[in-house]
Amino acid sequence: MAAANELITADAIEATEFMDLSRKYRVTGVPKTIVNETIEIMGALPEQDYVRAALQLPEQG
Amino acid sequence: MALLSPQDEATLKQHLSVITLPVQLVLFTQTIGGSESGPVTKRILGELAALNDKVTLVEKSFVLDTEDRNKYKVDKAPAIVLLSDGVDTRMRLYGAPTGYEFVGLVEAIIVAGTSKIELDPETMKWIQAVDKPTHIQVFSTPT
Repeated sequence: MAAANELITADAIEATEFMDLSRKYRVTGVPKTIVNETIEIMGALPEQDYVRAALQLPEQG
Repeated sequence: MALLSPQDEATLKQHLSVITLPVQLVLFTQTIGGSESGPVTKRILGELAALNDKVTLVEKSFVLDTEDRNKYKVDKAPAIVLLSDGVDTRMRLYGAPTGYEFVGLVEAIIVAGTSKIELDPETMKWIQAVDKPTHIQVFSTPT
């Protein structure tokens, strides 16, 4: 996503190495995604569902 | 002893052969008071960089190279910043890239080295429509 848009920064963080951050974002399972400090995505989702959740796009249909 | 087996090296060499652009792996580590994963990360990146002429490892000190730290907005170590032909890709890896993170690192190197993004065209449209700074943090573990 970061490669596709200059406004996006993507960090991959090893949760056990940065325990303070893991605690801050309540990482109890992985993968866990945090977007702009507020949006939380638990687990791995299909591509479109993941991007939709990360960007808070409305559901289709 | 090398971390990558000869078989791993051969497979990775083949994966990395698609790279056409120079990729710089800028590694920030902290020697004193830093975590033990700094040296491991350096070894992994060194072995990866040895597999393809276009991939280079650039070492920075998390403590001393504050200008670069600020430039790339790196706030913890070890950190890997990926540059594509000198341009920041805005992709970062924090912690040792072992296990699943290693796969992510190789994929990120290929994206940086090819400028090709393997995403569905519709998903790409959504991502390209983002018009405000967006910070994505993905937490994972090695296993």
